Amino acid sequence: MTDAERVLAGAVATAGDRIRAALAIRFRDLDMAEEAFAFASLRAVEAWRRDGPPRDPAAWLYAVGRRRAFDLGRRAKVRQEAQHDAPEPEPDPEAVLMAAFEPIPDERLRLIFVCCHPALAPEARIALTLRTLVGLSVGRIARAWLTTEIAMGQRLTRAKRKIREARIRFEIPGPEAWGERLEAVLATLEIAYAQAYEDAAGATDAADLAAETLRLSGLLAELLPDEPEVLGLAALIRLTESRRPARLDGAGVMIPLSEQDTRLWDDRLIAEAAGLLRRAAELGRSGPYQLMAAIHATHAARRDTGETAWGDIVALYDLLLIVRPSPVAQVNRAVALAEAQDAEAGLQALAAVAAPERLADWLPYQAARAGLCAMAGRSREASEALRHALALSPAPAERLFLERRLAALRT
Amino acid sequence: MQYLLLIYGDEGQKDPAILQEITAAHMRLGAEMAEAGAMAGGNRLKPSETATTVRTVGGVQSLHDGPYAETREQLAGYYMVEAPDLDAAIAWAKKIPGGPDYAIEVRPVWSMP
Repeated sequence: MTDAERVLAGAVATAGDRIRAALAIRFRDLDMAEEAFAFASLRAVEAWRRDGPPRDPAAWLYAVGRRRAFDLGRRAKVRQEAQHDAPEPEPDPEAVLMAAFEPIPDERLRLIFVCCHPALAPEARIALTLRTLVGLSVGRIARAWLTTEIAMGQRLTRAKRKIREARIRFEIPGPEAWGERLEAVLATLEIAYAQAYEDAAGATDAADLAAETLRLSGLLAELLPDEPEVLGLAALIRLTESRRPARLDGAGVMIPLSEQDTRLWDDRLIAEAAGLLRRAAELGRSGPYQLMAAIHATHAARRDTGETAWGDIVALYDLLLIVRPSPVAQVNRAVALAEAQDAEAGLQALAAVAAPERLADWLPYQAARAGLCAMAGRSREASEALRHALALSPAPAERLFLERRLAALRT
Repeated sequence: MQYLLLIYGDEGQKDPAILQEITAAHMRLGAEMAEAGAMAGGNRLKPSETATTVRTVGGVQSLHDGPYAETREQLAGYYMVEAPDLDAAIAWAKKIPGGPDYAIEVRPVWSMP
Protein backbone atom coordinates (compact mmCIF):
# COMPACT_ATOMS: atom_id res chain seq x y z
CA MET A 1 0.00 0.00 0.00
CA THR A 2 1.39 3.39 -0.95
CA ASP A 3 1.36 6.41 1.34
CA ALA A 4 -1.47 7.97 -0.65
CA GLU A 5 -3.53 4.80 -0.37
CA ARG A 6 -2.90 4.61 3.35
CA VAL A 7 -4.00 8.20 3.91
CA LEU A 8 -7.09 7.55 1.76
CA ALA A 9 -8.00 4.41 3.72
CA GLY A 10 -7.63 6.38 6.95
CA ALA A 11 -9.80 9.25 5.72
CA VAL A 12 -12.47 6.84 4.46
CA ALA A 13 -12.47 4.96 7.76
CA THR A 14 -12.87 8.08 9.87
CA ALA A 15 -14.97 10.33 7.63
CA GLY A 16 -16.28 8.17 4.78
CA ASP A 17 -19.77 7.88 6.27
CA ARG A 18 -20.04 11.62 6.77
CA ILE A 19 -18.82 12.43 3.27
CA ARG A 20 -21.14 9.93 1.59
CA ALA A 21 -24.08 11.15 3.65
CA ALA A 22 -23.32 14.82 3.02
CA LEU A 23 -23.11 14.21 -0.75
CA ALA A 24 -26.33 12.16 -0.81
CA ILE A 25 -28.32 14.73 1.13
CA ARG A 26 -26.90 17.70 -0.73
CA PHE A 27 -27.73 16.29 -4.15
CA ARG A 28 -30.76 14.23 -3.10
CA ASP A 29 -29.58 11.38 -5.29
CA LEU A 30 -27.96 8.26 -3.86
CA ASP A 31 -26.52 7.03 -7.18
CA MET A 32 -24.91 10.34 -7.92
CA ALA A 33 -23.45 10.55 -4.43
CA GLU A 34 -21.98 7.08 -4.75
CA GLU A 35 -20.44 7.83 -8.10
CA ALA A 36 -19.08 11.15 -6.90
CA PHE A 37 -17.50 9.56 -3.84
CA ALA A 38 -15.91 6.80 -5.92
CA PHE A 39 -14.58 9.42 -8.33
CA ALA A 40 -13.09 11.49 -5.49
CA SER A 41 -11.38 8.40 -4.01
CA LEU A 42 -9.88 7.55 -7.36
CA ARG A 43 -8.67 11.10 -7.93
CA ALA A 44 -7.25 11.21 -4.42
CA VAL A 45 -4.87 8.33 -5.04
CA GLU A 46 -3.57 9.96 -8.23
CA ALA A 47 -3.28 13.48 -6.87
CA TRP A 48 -1.89 12.57 -3.47
CA ARG A 49 0.71 10.29 -4.97
CA ARG A 50 1.79 13.15 -7.19
CA ASP A 51 1.54 16.11 -4.79
CA GLY A 52 1.50 14.43 -1.39
CA PRO A 53 -1.63 14.17 0.78
CA PRO A 54 -3.52 17.38 1.61
CA ARG A 55 -3.73 18.83 5.09
CA ASP A 56 -7.33 17.70 5.51
CA PRO A 57 -7.90 14.57 3.36
CA ALA A 58 -11.58 14.24 4.33
CA ALA A 59 -12.37 17.83 3.32
CA TRP A 60 -10.48 17.25 0.07
CA LEU A 61 -12.58 14.17 -0.71
CA TYR A 62 -15.79 16.02 0.09
CA ALA A 63 -14.83 19.02 -2.05
CA VAL A 64 -13.86 16.90 -5.07
CA GLY A 65 -16.92 14.67 -4.63
CA ARG A 66 -19.18 17.71 -4.50
CA ARG A 67 -17.62 19.19 -7.61
CA ARG A 68 -18.05 15.87 -9.40
CA ALA A 69 -21.71 15.68 -8.36
CA PHE A 70 -22.28 19.21 -9.68
CA ASP A 71 -20.76 18.15 -12.99
CA LEU A 72 -22.85 14.98 -13.13
CA GLY A 73 -25.98 16.98 -12.39
CA ARG A 74 -25.16 19.55 -15.02
CA ARG A 75 -24.44 16.87 -17.59
CA ALA A 76 -27.71 15.10 -16.82
CA LYS A 77 -29.50 18.38 -17.37
CA VAL A 78 -27.71 18.99 -20.66
CA ARG A 79 -28.59 15.48 -21.79
CA GLN A 80 -32.23 16.09 -20.93
CA GLU A 81 -32.20 19.10 -23.19
CA ALA A 82 -30.89 16.82 -25.96
CA GLN A 83 -27.62 18.61 -26.52
CA HIS A 84 -24.09 17.32 -26.59
CA ASP A 85 -22.34 16.71 -23.32
CA ALA A 86 -20.29 19.63 -22.20
CA PRO A 87 -16.63 18.71 -21.85
CA GLU A 88 -15.73 17.96 -18.26
CA PRO A 89 -14.18 21.08 -16.80
CA GLU A 90 -10.65 20.89 -15.46
CA PRO A 91 -10.59 20.51 -11.69
CA ASP A 92 -9.79 23.89 -10.25
CA PRO A 93 -7.22 23.51 -7.46
CA GLU A 94 -8.11 26.93 -6.06
CA ALA A 95 -11.76 25.98 -5.63
CA VAL A 96 -10.83 22.64 -4.09
CA LEU A 97 -8.58 24.43 -1.63
CA MET A 98 -11.25 26.99 -0.73
CA ALA A 99 -13.89 24.31 -0.27
CA ALA A 100 -11.53 22.39 1.96
CA PHE A 101 -12.17 24.97 4.67
CA GLU A 102 -15.88 24.28 4.62
CA PRO A 103 -16.75 21.76 7.33
CA ILE A 104 -18.46 18.56 6.19
CA PRO A 105 -22.04 18.74 7.48
CA ASP A 106 -23.22 15.74 9.46
CA GLU A 107 -26.15 14.41 7.44
CA ARG A 108 -25.89 10.79 8.56
CA LEU A 109 -29.12 10.79 10.53
CA ARG A 110 -31.09 12.20 7.61
CA LEU A 111 -29.58 9.56 5.36
CA ILE A 112 -30.47 6.78 7.80
CA PHE A 113 -34.08 7.91 7.72
CA VAL A 114 -34.06 7.97 3.90
CA CYS A 115 -32.51 4.50 3.59
CA CYS A 116 -34.82 3.02 6.24
CA HIS A 117 -38.02 4.57 4.90
CA PRO A 118 -40.97 2.25 5.62
CA ALA A 119 -42.14 2.63 2.01
CA LEU A 120 -39.12 0.48 1.06
CA ALA A 121 -39.13 -3.29 1.60
CA PRO A 122 -37.19 -4.31 4.74
CA GLU A 123 -34.51 -6.21 2.82
CA ALA A 124 -34.05 -3.25 0.49
CA ARG A 125 -33.66 -0.93 3.50
CA ILE A 126 -30.93 -3.07 5.00
CA ALA A 127 -29.00 -3.34 1.75
CA LEU A 128 -29.34 0.37 1.10
CA THR A 129 -28.21 1.31 4.60
CA LEU A 130 -25.16 -0.96 4.50
CA ARG A 131 -24.25 0.21 1.01
CA THR A 132 -24.93 3.92 1.26
CA LEU A 133 -24.16 4.74 4.84
CA VAL A 134 -21.46 2.26 5.69
CA GLY A 135 -20.04 1.81 2.20
CA LEU A 136 -20.06 -1.99 2.30
CA SER A 137 -19.53 -3.48 -1.16
CA VAL A 138 -22.49 -4.92 -3.06
CA GLY A 139 -20.66 -8.25 -3.25
CA ARG A 140 -20.18 -8.38 0.51
CA ILE A 141 -23.84 -7.59 1.19
CA ALA A 142 -24.90 -10.19 -1.38
CA ARG A 143 -22.77 -12.87 0.32
CA ALA A 144 -24.36 -12.20 3.70
CA TRP A 145 -27.84 -12.62 2.22
CA LEU A 146 -26.81 -15.67 0.21
CA THR A 147 -27.68 -14.07 -3.08
CA THR A 148 -25.72 -13.08 -6.16
CA GLU A 149 -24.05 -9.74 -6.62
CA ILE A 150 -26.26 -9.13 -9.67
CA ALA A 151 -29.47 -9.80 -7.73
CA MET A 152 -28.35 -7.60 -4.86
CA GLY A 153 -27.31 -4.86 -7.28
CA GLN A 154 -30.76 -4.96 -8.86
CA ARG A 155 -32.43 -4.77 -5.47
CA LEU A 156 -30.36 -1.68 -4.64
CA THR A 157 -31.08 -0.11 -8.01
CA ARG A 158 -34.82 -0.65 -7.56
CA ALA A 159 -34.73 0.91 -4.10
CA LYS A 160 -32.77 3.93 -5.29
CA ARG A 161 -35.10 4.36 -8.24
CA LYS A 162 -38.12 4.29 -5.95
CA ILE A 163 -36.58 6.92 -3.68
CA ARG A 164 -36.02 9.12 -6.71
CA GLU A 165 -39.18 8.45 -8.74
CA ALA A 166 -41.69 8.32 -5.89
CA ARG A 167 -39.80 11.20 -4.28
CA ILE A 168 -39.10 10.02 -0.75
CA ARG A 169 -38.41 12.98 1.48
CA PHE A 170 -34.75 13.62 2.37
CA GLU A 171 -35.63 15.02 5.76
CA ILE A 172 -35.68 13.92 9.36
CA PRO A 173 -39.35 13.01 9.95
CA GLY A 174 -41.56 15.34 11.93
CA PRO A 175 -43.37 14.38 15.15
CA GLU A 176 -46.44 13.07 13.26
CA ALA A 177 -44.38 10.32 11.59
CA TRP A 178 -41.58 9.96 14.15
CA GLY A 179 -42.74 6.74 15.85
CA GLU A 180 -43.33 4.80 12.64
CA ARG A 181 -40.13 6.03 11.02
CA LEU A 182 -37.92 5.34 14.04
CA GLU A 183 -39.42 1.87 14.34
CA ALA A 184 -38.49 1.20 10.71
CA VAL A 185 -34.90 2.28 11.39
CA LEU A 186 -34.63 0.07 14.49
CA ALA A 187 -36.17 -2.93 12.72
CA THR A 188 -33.73 -2.48 9.84
CA LEU A 189 -30.73 -2.52 12.16
CA GLU A 190 -32.13 -5.45 14.11
CA ILE A 191 -32.55 -7.59 11.00
CA ALA A 192 -29.14 -6.53 9.68
CA TYR A 193 -27.53 -7.62 12.93
CA ALA A 194 -29.46 -10.90 13.03
CA GLN A 195 -28.10 -11.63 9.56
CA ALA A 196 -24.58 -10.66 10.59
CA TYR A 197 -24.92 -12.97 13.56
CA GLU A 198 -25.99 -15.90 11.38
CA ASP A 199 -23.36 -15.05 8.83
CA ALA A 200 -20.65 -15.15 11.50
CA ALA A 201 -21.22 -18.83 12.18
CA GLY A 202 -19.94 -19.94 8.80
CA ALA A 203 -18.26 -17.27 6.74
CA THR A 204 -14.63 -16.46 7.23
CA ASP A 205 -14.86 -12.75 6.44
CA ALA A 206 -17.95 -12.35 8.60
CA ALA A 207 -16.66 -10.06 11.29
CA ASP A 208 -16.87 -6.95 9.10
CA LEU A 209 -20.62 -7.18 8.61
CA ALA A 210 -21.23 -7.59 12.34
CA ALA A 211 -18.69 -4.86 13.10
CA GLU A 212 -20.42 -2.44 10.72
CA THR A 213 -23.84 -3.15 12.22
CA LEU A 214 -22.36 -2.65 15.67
CA ARG A 215 -20.88 0.65 14.56
CA LEU A 216 -24.13 1.74 12.91
CA SER A 217 -26.13 1.06 16.08
CA GLY A 218 -23.56 3.03 18.08
CA LEU A 219 -23.77 5.89 15.62
CA LEU A 220 -27.55 5.95 15.91
CA ALA A 221 -27.28 6.03 19.72
CA GLU A 222 -24.87 8.95 19.38
CA LEU A 223 -27.20 10.82 17.00
CA LEU A 224 -30.39 10.11 18.98
CA PRO A 225 -29.23 10.02 22.62
CA ASP A 226 -32.71 10.76 23.96
CA GLU A 227 -34.45 7.80 22.35
CA PRO A 228 -34.31 4.97 24.92
CA GLU A 229 -35.12 2.24 22.38
CA VAL A 230 -32.22 3.36 20.19
CA LEU A 231 -29.94 3.00 23.21
CA GLY A 232 -31.60 -0.33 23.99
CA LEU A 233 -30.90 -1.71 20.53
CA ALA A 234 -27.29 -0.52 20.65
CA ALA A 235 -26.92 -2.27 24.02
CA LEU A 236 -28.60 -5.43 22.73
CA ILE A 237 -26.26 -5.67 19.75
CA ARG A 238 -23.22 -5.07 21.98
CA LEU A 239 -24.23 -7.75 24.45
CA THR A 240 -24.86 -10.33 21.73
CA GLU A 241 -21.67 -9.40 19.94
CA SER A 242 -19.66 -9.59 23.19
CA ARG A 243 -20.18 -13.35 23.17
CA ARG A 244 -18.94 -13.95 19.63
CA PRO A 245 -15.57 -15.42 20.75
CA ALA A 246 -17.37 -17.93 22.98
CA ARG A 247 -20.08 -19.07 20.59
CA LEU A 248 -18.23 -21.93 18.88
CA ASP A 249 -15.68 -24.44 20.11
CA GLY A 250 -12.52 -25.36 18.24
CA ALA A 251 -14.42 -27.87 16.12
CA GLY A 252 -17.05 -25.35 15.07
CA VAL A 253 -19.73 -26.73 17.39
CA MET A 254 -22.25 -24.26 18.79
CA ILE A 255 -21.92 -23.66 22.54
CA PRO A 256 -25.19 -22.61 24.17
CA LEU A 257 -25.15 -19.36 26.10
CA SER A 258 -25.41 -20.95 29.53
CA GLU A 259 -22.40 -23.18 28.86
CA GLN A 260 -20.11 -20.56 27.35
CA ASP A 261 -16.78 -19.74 28.95
CA THR A 262 -17.46 -16.25 30.31
CA ARG A 263 -13.75 -15.40 30.24
CA LEU A 264 -14.02 -15.27 26.46
CA TRP A 265 -16.75 -12.62 26.52
CA ASP A 266 -15.76 -9.11 25.47
CA ASP A 267 -15.58 -6.89 28.58
CA ARG A 268 -15.49 -3.64 26.69
CA LEU A 269 -18.73 -4.33 24.81
CA ILE A 270 -20.49 -5.51 27.98
CA ALA A 271 -19.45 -2.33 29.79
CA GLU A 272 -20.57 -0.17 26.87
CA ALA A 273 -23.95 -1.90 26.89
CA ALA A 274 -24.33 -1.35 30.62
CA GLY A 275 -23.71 2.38 30.13
CA LEU A 276 -26.25 2.56 27.31
CA LEU A 277 -28.89 0.72 29.36
CA ARG A 278 -28.33 3.00 32.34
CA ARG A 279 -28.86 6.06 30.17
CA ALA A 280 -31.95 4.47 28.61
CA ALA A 281 -33.40 3.72 32.04
CA GLU A 282 -32.92 7.35 33.07
CA LEU A 283 -35.15 8.39 30.18
CA GLY A 284 -37.94 6.36 31.76
CA ARG A 285 -39.64 4.90 28.69
CA SER A 286 -39.30 1.13 28.48
CA GLY A 287 -39.68 -0.87 25.28
CA PRO A 288 -38.91 -4.20 23.63
CA TYR A 289 -35.28 -3.46 22.73
CA GLN A 290 -34.47 -2.35 26.26
CA LEU A 291 -36.17 -5.47 27.63
CA MET A 292 -34.26 -7.78 25.28
CA ALA A 293 -31.04 -6.01 26.20
CA ALA A 294 -31.89 -6.38 29.89
CA ILE A 295 -32.33 -10.14 29.38
CA HIS A 296 -28.92 -10.36 27.75
CA ALA A 297 -27.40 -8.14 30.45
CA THR A 298 -28.74 -10.56 33.08
CA HIS A 299 -27.00 -13.40 31.24
CA ALA A 300 -23.84 -11.31 31.02
CA ALA A 301 -23.83 -10.86 34.79
CA ARG A 302 -22.85 -14.54 35.12
CA ARG A 303 -19.38 -13.37 34.25
CA ASP A 304 -19.14 -11.60 37.62
CA THR A 305 -21.45 -13.64 39.84
CA GLY A 306 -20.83 -17.12 38.45
CA GLU A 307 -24.54 -17.84 38.24
CA THR A 308 -27.54 -16.84 36.16
CA ALA A 309 -30.55 -15.12 37.74
CA TRP A 310 -33.10 -17.25 35.89
CA GLY A 311 -36.02 -15.89 37.91
CA ASP A 312 -35.20 -12.35 36.74
CA ILE A 313 -34.94 -13.60 33.17
CA VAL A 314 -38.39 -15.21 33.33
CA ALA A 315 -39.85 -11.97 34.68
CA LEU A 316 -38.22 -9.97 31.87
CA TYR A 317 -39.58 -12.38 29.26
CA ASP A 318 -43.03 -11.96 30.79
CA LEU A 319 -42.78 -8.22 30.21
CA LEU A 320 -41.36 -8.68 26.72
CA LEU A 321 -44.21 -11.00 25.76
CA ILE A 322 -46.66 -8.26 26.71
CA VAL A 323 -45.07 -5.52 24.56
CA ARG A 324 -43.79 -7.72 21.75
CA PRO A 325 -45.13 -11.26 21.72
CA SER A 326 -43.18 -13.75 19.59
CA PRO A 327 -42.84 -17.53 19.52
CA VAL A 328 -39.06 -17.29 19.91
CA ALA A 329 -39.48 -15.30 23.12
CA GLN A 330 -42.01 -17.88 24.32
CA VAL A 331 -39.53 -20.71 23.74
CA ASN A 332 -36.76 -18.82 25.51
CA ARG A 333 -39.05 -18.06 28.41
CA ALA A 334 -39.94 -21.76 28.73
CA VAL A 335 -36.25 -22.67 28.88
CA ALA A 336 -35.61 -19.99 31.52
CA LEU A 337 -38.61 -21.20 33.49
CA ALA A 338 -37.21 -24.73 33.51
CA GLU A 339 -33.99 -23.38 34.99
CA ALA A 340 -35.79 -21.19 37.52
CA GLN A 341 -38.31 -23.86 38.61
CA ASP A 342 -38.01 -27.31 37.08
CA ALA A 343 -38.00 -29.05 33.73
CA GLU A 344 -41.70 -29.98 33.95
CA ALA A 345 -42.73 -26.33 34.30
CA GLY A 346 -40.59 -25.54 31.28
CA LEU A 347 -42.07 -28.35 29.20
CA GLN A 348 -45.57 -27.22 30.05
CA ALA A 349 -44.80 -23.67 28.95
CA LEU A 350 -43.13 -25.00 25.82
CA ALA A 351 -46.21 -27.01 24.82
CA ALA A 352 -48.23 -23.77 24.84
CA VAL A 353 -45.99 -21.92 22.35
CA ALA A 354 -47.86 -20.45 19.39
CA ALA A 355 -45.41 -21.49 16.67
CA PRO A 356 -45.28 -19.87 13.23
CA GLU A 357 -45.79 -23.32 11.66
CA ARG A 358 -46.79 -26.72 13.01
CA LEU A 359 -45.12 -26.74 16.43
CA ALA A 360 -43.56 -30.17 15.87
CA ASP A 361 -41.90 -28.94 12.64
CA TRP A 362 -40.40 -25.86 14.20
CA LEU A 363 -36.68 -26.15 14.93
CA PRO A 364 -36.47 -23.86 18.02
CA TYR A 365 -39.26 -25.86 19.62
CA GLN A 366 -37.68 -29.28 19.03
CA ALA A 367 -34.24 -28.06 20.08
CA ALA A 368 -35.62 -26.60 23.31
CA ARG A 369 -37.75 -29.69 23.95
CA ALA A 370 -34.71 -31.93 23.58
CA GLY A 371 -32.88 -29.91 26.22
CA LEU A 372 -35.78 -29.87 28.65
CA CYS A 373 -36.57 -33.58 28.23
CA ALA A 374 -32.92 -34.43 28.90
CA MET A 375 -33.07 -32.18 31.96
CA ALA A 376 -36.16 -34.07 33.16
CA GLY A 377 -34.35 -37.37 32.69
CA ARG A 378 -36.57 -38.42 29.79
CA SER A 379 -33.79 -39.62 27.48
CA ARG A 380 -36.01 -41.41 24.99
CA GLU A 381 -38.12 -38.29 24.34
CA ALA A 382 -34.99 -36.16 24.27
CA SER A 383 -33.46 -38.37 21.56
CA GLU A 384 -36.68 -38.25 19.60
CA ALA A 385 -36.75 -34.44 19.76
CA LEU A 386 -33.08 -34.25 18.72
CA ARG A 387 -33.69 -36.48 15.70
CA HIS A 388 -36.69 -34.35 14.84
CA ALA A 389 -34.63 -31.17 15.18
CA LEU A 390 -31.83 -32.57 13.00
CA ALA A 391 -34.36 -33.25 10.26
CA LEU A 392 -35.35 -29.54 10.24
CA SER A 393 -32.09 -28.36 8.59
CA PRO A 394 -30.30 -26.54 11.42
CA ALA A 395 -27.30 -24.30 10.64
CA PRO A 396 -23.96 -26.18 10.56
CA ALA A 397 -22.80 -25.20 14.07
CA GLU A 398 -26.15 -26.08 15.60
CA ARG A 399 -26.29 -29.36 13.66
CA LEU A 400 -22.97 -30.41 15.18
CA PHE A 401 -24.23 -29.42 18.61
CA LEU A 402 -27.44 -31.44 18.25
CA GLU A 403 -25.55 -34.44 16.90
CA ARG A 404 -23.21 -34.33 19.85
CA ARG A 405 -26.14 -34.21 22.27
CA LEU A 406 -27.73 -37.15 20.54
CA ALA A 407 -24.51 -39.18 20.77
CA ALA A 408 -24.23 -38.33 24.48
CA LEU A 409 -27.74 -39.65 25.12
CA ARG A 410 -26.96 -42.93 23.40
CA THR A 411 -24.04 -43.76 25.67
CA MET B 1 -45.76 16.30 -8.10
CA GLN B 2 -49.06 14.47 -8.41
CA TYR B 3 -49.89 11.17 -6.72
CA LEU B 4 -52.81 8.90 -7.47
CA LEU B 5 -54.28 7.39 -4.31
CA LEU B 6 -56.18 4.24 -5.27
CA ILE B 7 -58.71 2.95 -2.77
CA TYR B 8 -59.14 -0.83 -2.62
CA GLY B 9 -61.82 -2.31 -0.44
CA ASP B 10 -64.22 -5.15 0.11
CA GLU B 11 -67.40 -4.39 -1.81
CA GLY B 12 -69.42 -6.50 0.61
CA GLN B 13 -70.00 -3.62 3.01
CA LYS B 14 -73.67 -2.71 2.63
CA ASP B 15 -74.71 -1.28 6.00
CA PRO B 16 -76.25 2.07 4.99
CA ALA B 17 -75.38 3.75 8.29
CA ILE B 18 -71.68 2.89 7.90
CA LEU B 19 -71.66 3.85 4.22
CA GLN B 20 -73.22 7.19 5.09
CA GLU B 21 -70.59 7.80 7.72
CA ILE B 22 -67.77 6.95 5.30
CA THR B 23 -69.26 9.20 2.62
CA ALA B 24 -69.43 12.08 5.08
CA ALA B 25 -65.79 11.48 6.02
CA HIS B 26 -64.83 11.60 2.31
CA MET B 27 -66.61 14.95 1.97
CA ARG B 28 -64.67 16.34 4.90
CA LEU B 29 -61.37 15.00 3.53
CA GLY B 30 -62.11 16.49 0.10
CA ALA B 31 -62.71 19.88 1.70
CA GLU B 32 -59.48 19.59 3.70
CA MET B 33 -57.51 18.69 0.55
CA ALA B 34 -59.05 21.59 -1.35
CA GLU B 35 -58.22 24.01 1.43
CA ALA B 36 -54.60 22.78 1.51
CA GLY B 37 -54.37 23.21 -2.28
CA ALA B 38 -53.68 19.48 -2.64
CA MET B 39 -56.90 18.39 -4.39
CA ALA B 40 -56.33 17.50 -8.03
CA GLY B 41 -59.32 15.22 -8.52
CA GLY B 42 -61.05 12.16 -7.20
CA ASN B 43 -64.12 10.01 -7.59
CA ARG B 44 -66.01 7.14 -6.13
CA LEU B 45 -66.44 4.26 -8.57
CA LYS B 46 -69.53 2.13 -9.16
CA PRO B 47 -69.17 -1.54 -8.05
CA SER B 48 -66.74 -3.75 -9.96
CA GLU B 49 -69.64 -5.82 -11.32
CA THR B 50 -70.33 -2.84 -13.60
CA ALA B 51 -66.77 -2.94 -14.95
CA THR B 52 -65.76 -3.99 -18.46
CA THR B 53 -62.20 -4.90 -19.34
CA VAL B 54 -60.91 -4.32 -22.85
CA ARG B 55 -58.02 -6.71 -23.26
CA THR B 56 -55.54 -6.79 -26.14
CA VAL B 57 -53.67 -10.02 -26.72
CA GLY B 58 -51.32 -10.24 -29.67
CA GLY B 59 -52.92 -7.13 -31.13
CA VAL B 60 -56.42 -8.61 -30.97
CA GLN B 61 -58.90 -6.87 -28.75
CA SER B 62 -61.67 -8.53 -26.81
CA LEU B 63 -64.12 -7.48 -24.12
CA HIS B 64 -64.51 -9.10 -20.73
CA ASP B 65 -67.29 -8.62 -18.28
CA GLY B 66 -65.74 -7.64 -14.96
CA PRO B 67 -62.74 -5.86 -13.48
CA TYR B 68 -59.11 -6.38 -14.53
CA ALA B 69 -58.30 -8.44 -11.44
CA GLU B 70 -60.85 -10.65 -9.72
CA THR B 71 -59.85 -10.17 -6.12
CA ARG B 72 -61.81 -9.76 -2.95
CA GLU B 73 -60.64 -6.19 -2.58
CA GLN B 74 -61.62 -4.07 -5.55
CA LEU B 75 -60.79 -0.59 -6.75
CA ALA B 76 -63.54 1.51 -5.23
CA GLY B 77 -62.38 5.05 -5.88
CA TYR B 78 -59.40 7.35 -6.09
CA TYR B 79 -57.98 10.72 -5.23
CA MET B 80 -55.44 12.64 -7.21
CA VAL B 81 -53.37 14.83 -4.90
CA GLU B 82 -50.71 17.42 -5.43
CA ALA B 83 -47.93 16.76 -2.90
CA PRO B 84 -44.29 17.82 -2.56
CA ASP B 85 -43.08 14.27 -1.86
CA LEU B 86 -44.09 10.69 -1.09
CA ASP B 87 -44.28 11.35 2.62
CA ALA B 88 -46.85 14.09 2.13
CA ALA B 89 -48.84 11.86 -0.24
CA ILE B 90 -48.76 9.02 2.34
CA ALA B 91 -50.02 11.44 4.98
CA TRP B 92 -53.08 12.11 2.76
CA ALA B 93 -53.50 8.39 2.07
CA LYS B 94 -53.65 7.71 5.79
CA LYS B 95 -56.54 10.15 6.10
CA ILE B 96 -58.74 8.38 3.56
CA PRO B 97 -61.69 6.72 5.35
CA GLY B 98 -63.03 3.27 4.49
CA GLY B 99 -64.08 1.12 7.44
CA PRO B 100 -61.97 -1.41 9.32
CA ASP B 101 -60.24 -3.17 6.38
CA TYR B 102 -59.08 -1.51 3.17
CA ALA B 103 -55.92 -0.50 1.37
CA ILE B 104 -54.66 2.62 -0.38
CA GLU B 105 -52.07 2.35 -3.12
CA VAL B 106 -49.99 5.48 -3.55
CA ARG B 107 -48.65 5.91 -7.08
CA PRO B 108 -46.57 8.82 -8.30
CA VAL B 109 -47.75 10.24 -11.62
CA TRP B 110 -45.35 10.89 -14.49
CA SER B 111 -45.15 14.62 -14.90
CA MET B 112 -45.14 15.93 -18.44
CA PRO B 113 -41.99 17.87 -19.22
